[in-house]
Amino acid sequence: MNRIFFTLLTALSLLSFTNNAPFAAESPAVEEIVNKANLASYYGGDDGRAEISMTITDSQGRKRNREFVILRKDIKDGGDQLFFVYFKKPSDVRKMVFMVHKHLDKDDDRWLYLPALDLVKRIAAADKRTSFVGSHFLYEDVSGRSIVDDNHELIQTTGDSYVLKSTPKDPDSVEFSSYTIWIDRNNYMPMKAEYLDKEGRKYRTVEALLIKDIQGFPTVVKSRVKDHVAKGETVSEFTNIKYNVGLAEKIFTERYLRRPPKAVRK
Amino acid sequence: MKASRFINISLDKPKTVTAIIMLISLILGAMIVKVRVDTDPENMLSEQEGVRIFHHLVKKEFTLHDVIVLGVVNETHPDGVFNPATLKHVQELTEFSKKLADPDDPAKRVVTQNIIAPGTVDNIEQAGLGQVRFEWLMKEAPTSREQALAIRDNAMSNPLLKGTLVSENGKALCIYLPLSSKDFAYNARNQLLEKIETFAADNGDTFYITGLPVAEDTFGVEMFVQMAVSAPLAMVAIFLLMLLFFKKMRLIISPMIVAMVSVISTMGLMIGTGNTLHIMSSMIPIFLMPIAVVDSIHILSEFFDTYPSIQDRRKTLEHVMDQLFMPMLYTSLTSTAGFASLALTPIPPVQIFGIFVAFGIMLAWLLTIIFIPAYIMMMKEENLAGFGIAGKSKAGANDTLMSRILRWLGGFTYNRAKIILALSMVALAISAYGISKITINDNPVKWFKKDHPIRVADTVLNSHFGGTYEAYLILETAEKELDIQGTAKLVTRQFENFSAETQDNKEIASEALSLVREAASSSNSPDEFFNTLTDQIEEKQDAADDKAYDIWADTLDILALVKNRDQVFKNPEVLRYVEGLQEYLLKTGVVGKSNSVTDVVKKVYQELFEAKQEYYRVPDTVNAVAQSLISFQNSHKPDDLWHLVTPDYKKANIWLQLKSGDNQDMEAVVKMVDKYIAENPPPVQLDHKWAGLTYLNVVWQDKMVSGMLNSFLSSFGVVFVMMAVLFRSILWGGLAMVPLSVTIAIIYGLIGLIGKEYDMPVAVLSSLTLGLAVDFAIHFLERARMTFKKMGSWKEAIRDMFEEPARAITRNVIVIAIGFTPLLAAPLVPYQTVGVFLASIMATLLETWLFKKIHT
Repeated sequence: MNRIFFTLLTALSLLSFTNNAPFAAESPAVEEIVNKANLASYYGGDDGRAEISMTITDSQGRKRNREFVILRKDIKDGGDQLFFVYFKKPSDVRKMVFMVHKHLDKDDDRWLYLPALDLVKRIAAADKRTSFVGSHFLYEDVSGRSIVDDNHELIQTTGDSYVLKSTPKDPDSVEFSSYTIWIDRNNYMPMKAEYLDKEGRKYRTVEALLIKDIQGFPTVVKSRVKDHVAKGETVSEFTNIKYNVGLAEKIFTERYLRRPPKAVRK
Repeated sequence: MKASRFINISLDKPKTVTAIIMLISLILGAMIVKVRVDTDPENMLSEQEGVRIFHHLVKKEFTLHDVIVLGVVNETHPDGVFNPATLKHVQELTEFSKKLADPDDPAKRVVTQNIIAPGTVDNIEQAGLGQVRFEWLMKEAPTSREQALAIRDNAMSNPLLKGTLVSENGKALCIYLPLSSKDFAYNARNQLLEKIETFAADNGDTFYITGLPVAEDTFGVEMFVQMAVSAPLAMVAIFLLMLLFFKKMRLIISPMIVAMVSVISTMGLMIGTGNTLHIMSSMIPIFLMPIAVVDSIHILSEFFDTYPSIQDRRKTLEHVMDQLFMPMLYTSLTSTAGFASLALTPIPPVQIFGIFVAFGIMLAWLLTIIFIPAYIMMMKEENLAGFGIAGKSKAGANDTLMSRILRWLGGFTYNRAKIILALSMVALAISAYGISKITINDNPVKWFKKDHPIRVADTVLNSHFGGTYEAYLILETAEKELDIQGTAKLVTRQFENFSAETQDNKEIASEALSLVREAASSSNSPDEFFNTLTDQIEEKQDAADDKAYDIWADTLDILALVKNRDQVFKNPEVLRYVEGLQEYLLKTGVVGKSNSVTDVVKKVYQELFEAKQEYYRVPDTVNAVAQSLISFQNSHKPDDLWHLVTPDYKKANIWLQLKSGDNQDMEAVVKMVDKYIAENPPPVQLDHKWAGLTYLNVVWQDKMVSGMLNSFLSSFGVVFVMMAVLFRSILWGGLAMVPLSVTIAIIYGLIGLIGKEYDMPVAVLSSLTLGLAVDFAIHFLERARMTFKKMGSWKEAIRDMFEEPARAITRNVIVIAIGFTPLLAAPLVPYQTVGVFLASIMATLLETWLFKKIHT
């Protein structure tokens, strides 16, 4: 379930592929790797629930904490998804909700509920590469980078990883020029992604720090984003992970923003 | 005691003496290659200086950098700078700046992620019905007029950007380029100018670059260039003058050698002992050079005048040395004292400057004593033939203009003592008035001439924007921390209030209250108390039914509010207080604009409510503030918030844009803020402190002024004691102080009268004046006494005094005055020259008066 946080990785499942790898003969095609990565990281259940503790550390070592519950439901495997992010900490944003209806064929719908302002706000989908509540994760990391946004190629196969390089089709729409992703050859879990900025400097790294088996699904339980330019990082730790909890589709509606579903409780 | 025995070695072994001198100066001079240049005026403060430490702490804590301001103004296009062509240039410059680094040291660069430019600032805006959007203000350069104007309108509607990024009339736009290191500013400016050169000039855009780091770094660079020009120029001027006085090229090379050796050895020693070459110490050569030749001129002058009658160089030299040894020693000692007193200032570069000029003066004295005689001994006797006022009788000897004027002056002082006295009194009175008018002020940008591009940029940009000078007003909570009992009491009171609200609350609140008591007795610290209590309430909450769950949740809210009460900059009352302070700051007339966390909260809150004007305010609860702020953090640049508040919300930074970098203006703002806070106590205890380059300049310049005054007074005392010892009379010592006191009074009176502000160069001037003015008094008085002994009559003595001793002094006055004139060519410090010039002339005039007074 936590994989949703590793979604630039899950997004892989939905890519368009180009296979120019010179060693294609000994490695599976990009298409196949991506499909399997997609399977491994995405089809692990019809829905899921996890509690996330996010620690944001800035260049000065100052730490901030965010705690929230994520509910996810897949409308269709490999298709549309629903997310409900319910905040518990910091205490002054408790009950804040971020909800996403992720679509493959059109822009996502996004809502923000601010309890202290008694306000439900739609957030325009114009740019998803903005910070997720001040952390080093981006909204696009939460709801997933769109399937057709990048071209991918297999550039290397190492002892334990397939290394893919992804280049945006519309370079002006994003702040990176490309990213490289390492996918575990055994279970097809994406392990690391490195982003290069327009000047070609590595400025951002996303990593899976710890993977556990939960209900038979390999699951990332600790992940980290590092900002190499401003020197800061965010570490996410996942607890109380459950798959196939039987979430109803109706809880992912505006009505439940003000009155969160029971599923956000333990 | 015959002073001439000190020079026996030079007379006996001139070549050995010369060789040793050359060797030592070569060794010291070799160390000059180790030079490390330092052009940072911040180093005027010691690194341990409290305000400097705080400034750096603030810069680090709020991720602030010293900033280059790059402005573009378009007065001709109807849409001002908001046309596709100009914005394309702006975008190009932004992209160019992102890569801007020092080619020799890539660590010195523009801090890319903190650039403020249309392409790098995030804007929260309305995106259709009920939607907000975080979008770059200018994601790419616009291609149509509509797009360009949309960018203008978005920027204008953002109070954080208006007056900072865009001017209110839309004709100007500023890019703020933060630097990782301040001393990259000059280099960065040059690279930017080169880039701007490549733009087609047909669009009506004018580009300007300013900001304190640029001014300071550029000043440093230009200062060095000028010193490299001025010092040799001074050398040439002195050389030509001496040639005029003494005619013999071979002879006057010797004082030039003394000056060169003094300067080279002093600089070598300074650099060799690990000191950096700072703006101040770069002035050492030009200070030292004229002073170094003074003693030589006395020797040569005397030699020039007496050699024709004695006709033996050894005997002449012995005679000259007997006459001059004591006055030369004392003049050097007093000049040294004048400069050495700078070591008492609390400003490291000024200390270094003072100490090494002092060292240089003593070195020059020593060299004069041992090298000049050696040099003359090494000349062939026939080269001296015809030297001096040869073959003529003393009475009719001197018919040069100088001699005639001096002779007249001698008669005048003797006969018109009262007039001189009266004139001096009038001058003193006027000076006293002038001194009362002196204003202490400085601004690094004003070190440049008015037509310097940096000065022009400063004027233009400050007319369009809130201001290009930055100061940071740091507010920090000073609330006392409570102990466990106090904390528990506070929580108890809140829970009791909560209990009274509804019947449903009552039951749970009473349970919660017992948890409070338990936690209070089992905990050792307030933190532990909160953690224990939170855990226990959460346990209860997890076990509760839906209705109780919510009530338990409310208790958690209450608990969090109490726990986080020290996060004062989420407190609406505090934010409104900051708002009031900012409004007040605008009324000062100096602050053109200020940005704070309050502005962020207000802007976000307004946009969340469809940009309605009535929501442009601070919301009413802590949570509403917090949720507005977390909405802001959903942007591309969430960390921008931490320039204005620390993540623990205990400290806030009000970022002030000042239209003027003058100390006086900054000081006025500081005073007004103090007054405001005293008259309007904040809702919670807040400490306030200042940081930022503009403020830092105020601090070191204040120190400079008070430090200079102290050092001046102490050196004044030292010189007086020296005088008393020299003349073995307190009366004579006191009298020797009179001319220089009057001189200094007149100089500073003049500075006050012409409205020149008391700034760094003027402050340095005082020690120079003190050191030099007293020289003339010493020479005049010491030799007057000698002459009196010989002649037995003051009237005779005076006539004698206005012959060769007066000529020697006059020659020196002219050398010093001319020696400093190359500084006139330096637009940065012209007033120094004027001051020195006046100092010299006044000194001689007043000495003559003084002498007369003693006599009568």
